[in-house]
Amino acid sequence: MSSTAKDITKVSRRRAFSKADRTTLGAFVGIPLFFHLLLVWIPAVLTILLSFTYWSGISISRIKWAGLANYQNIFFDTPAFWEGLKNNVIWLGWFALIATPLGILLAYQIDRQIRGHKFYETAYYLPVVLSLAVTGIIWNFLLRPDGFVNGLFGRDIDNAISFFGNYDINIYVILTIASWRHIGYIMLLYLAGLKSVDSALREAASLDGATEWQTFKKVVFPSMKPVNIIVIVITIIESLRAFDIVYIIYGSSAGFPILGTLVFQNIAGEGASMKGAAYAVILFVLSIGPIIAYLRATFKSDVQ
Amino acid sequence: MSDLNNGISRRSVLKGAAVGGLGIAAGGSLLAGCGDKATGPLAYGARSVDAGPTAQNEALIAAYTAKTGNEVKYNATESNAFQNNLSQYLQGTPDDTFEWMAGYRMQFFAEQGLLADLTGVWDAIGDQYSESYKIASTGLDGKQYFVPKSWYPWGLHFRKSMFADLGLNADNVTNWDEYLKMLDGMKKKGLVGFAAGDKGGWEAMGTFDIINARVNGYQFHVDLLAGREKWTDAKVTDVFSHWAELLPYMNPNVLDLEWDGAMQLLLQKKAGSMLMGSWFGGNFKEQSEADYADLSIIPFPEINPEHGRDTIDAPIDGWCVAANGTNNDGGADFLKFAGDMEGVNATLAAKDANGALIPMTSANSGQDTSTYDPFQKEQLAVMAEAKYITQFLDRDTRPDFAGPVVGPAIQSWFKNPKDVAKIQDTLQSQWEALPPLA
Repeated sequence: MSSTAKDITKVSRRRAFSKADRTTLGAFVGIPLFFHLLLVWIPAVLTILLSFTYWSGISISRIKWAGLANYQNIFFDTPAFWEGLKNNVIWLGWFALIATPLGILLAYQIDRQIRGHKFYETAYYLPVVLSLAVTGIIWNFLLRPDGFVNGLFGRDIDNAISFFGNYDINIYVILTIASWRHIGYIMLLYLAGLKSVDSALREAASLDGATEWQTFKKVVFPSMKPVNIIVIVITIIESLRAFDIVYIIYGSSAGFPILGTLVFQNIAGEGASMKGAAYAVILFVLSIGPIIAYLRATFKSDVQ
Repeated sequence: MSDLNNGISRRSVLKGAAVGGLGIAAGGSLLAGCGDKATGPLAYGARSVDAGPTAQNEALIAAYTAKTGNEVKYNATESNAFQNNLSQYLQGTPDDTFEWMAGYRMQFFAEQGLLADLTGVWDAIGDQYSESYKIASTGLDGKQYFVPKSWYPWGLHFRKSMFADLGLNADNVTNWDEYLKMLDGMKKKGLVGFAAGDKGGWEAMGTFDIINARVNGYQFHVDLLAGREKWTDAKVTDVFSHWAELLPYMNPNVLDLEWDGAMQLLLQKKAGSMLMGSWFGGNFKEQSEADYADLSIIPFPEINPEHGRDTIDAPIDGWCVAANGTNNDGGADFLKFAGDMEGVNATLAAKDANGALIPMTSANSGQDTSTYDPFQKEQLAVMAEAKYITQFLDRDTRPDFAGPVVGPAIQSWFKNPKDVAKIQDTLQSQWEALPPLA
């Protein structure tokens, strides 16, 4: 009985669209879809196809089928790939275990309205306003051999602290810079989520005698599942797609290899080859898992 | 009414076209007589935004416009960005003439049909250039695609005043042992002996070039870069073991400095010597005339007596005409002027911000070497000693090998100099994995 009623409403709703409505809706869906396909999916599919070819990017008639050669080259002959992958994995680990939890902690503290919370909120959020490229320029200015920090310590370039050139520490320098921005980003996302948590839940928990940590762990955290998923997915994607900061500091020489710079190094300039496309496909495959999870979480929360 | 209007307008249009046609015909015959003017406005793509080269280009363009009346639109791009974009630039809507490099890097684009044939320009001004410049300007099909502007040698640069203070005589540094002894003396005085930077990934290629040429000779170096010799060869190991002898005398932050950081070490008298192309002399001159006058160059010392000091990296910079430009004739006409002694003189007359002449060693044999300043005369002497001239690693081998493979390999050697065998293996395996040339 109820299902028939549902069917009827469905049918009647569908009938409610006039021809003009359908044209409008068609345009609203169709135009973005057209551009999306044109600018995102077609290039993506072409990149995948090109990754199986030899081509220098000049005149289409020169494309040659390469089979899996580009991938073979990357996996078996290119140590920079494994170095880059390692750096991306460390990046992910750092973001997942240090930067993101820190952002959540800050959000929680600010949400509890500790003293000066407005100031902290602004201070931590400020770096998010800057693009990653600008972040890179600022920190490069501070830390390069003839930069501000070395000047402050009275060190000349011949005995400057090598923040970017010492390979025992430079990844942590880069990660600190990246976190400077990432923490504020996560804080903001989480803060928005915390604001939407029903305060009655917290009151009930404290009436039952739960400590602050117990309240967060057992009540607040589980009630924020959609936000948590988004935060996790963003952390993964930000770690994998990292490019801007490293490119600004190291240029296209891949002095500090990560997958993002390897794509660029192999696809731009005179040395362009479709090895760069293969790197892009590898990066795409690594990212697609989290992206699917992200989309599913978004759609689920929409339905709710 | 409307028909009548249409008729009139059509007729007047036809009349206008006829007059215009006559004008063009008249103009054509008129201009054919005086040569240059028929080519019209053109666009110039510069590969530098630095003050010195910009002033030179502006002087050259002003002289060209004054002579021919042709307007030149000037577009400058920072050199790394220009290089990264070149493929797209040449396939899109490039400037008519643009700054580029001789040798392999020019041949690569000529072969893809992206450069215009400049044989006509060479017919007109070719007698002003020695044969080696013509060879460096020639594509694989035997036609010329390049007009040379200037050259510079790669050698050991030092400051005369520092050598005087240290009681050193540059003439006594001719072989490897003497050089190492000198570096050791500098180290004991708390100086960096061999200033080096490789953050950009290309700087140290010059060191590889020269040590390889000194240890194994010109032929092996050229064959190695062309893939006829193997990177796993013990001779390459030998290059790295000689290079490793320099490591204790280098600044510790090689991977944190670009070429200009290494140059600062020399400028600030914190380093005793630096291997670099002499082009950076302009930066010394911008600093002060005294610093420039203090700058000196000697050939990199001999390592293997069999090869002496017979090879040198001496890259040639110049111009090409983009085939996809709107005005190929205009581009070629401009280069005919730029490459002619008249254009060279205009370039040489350019002055920097301090009002001083900008030093340039022109490729044109018409430049009077007696007008060279002392530093340029030394460059000429360094050049004259060499029997074989190479361009530079990233100009002498495949572009998809030099930048993406050799650059990072040398950087990883600096990270871990003990990894030589592994680095040689990956260099060879990556060479073999390169796509076949079309």
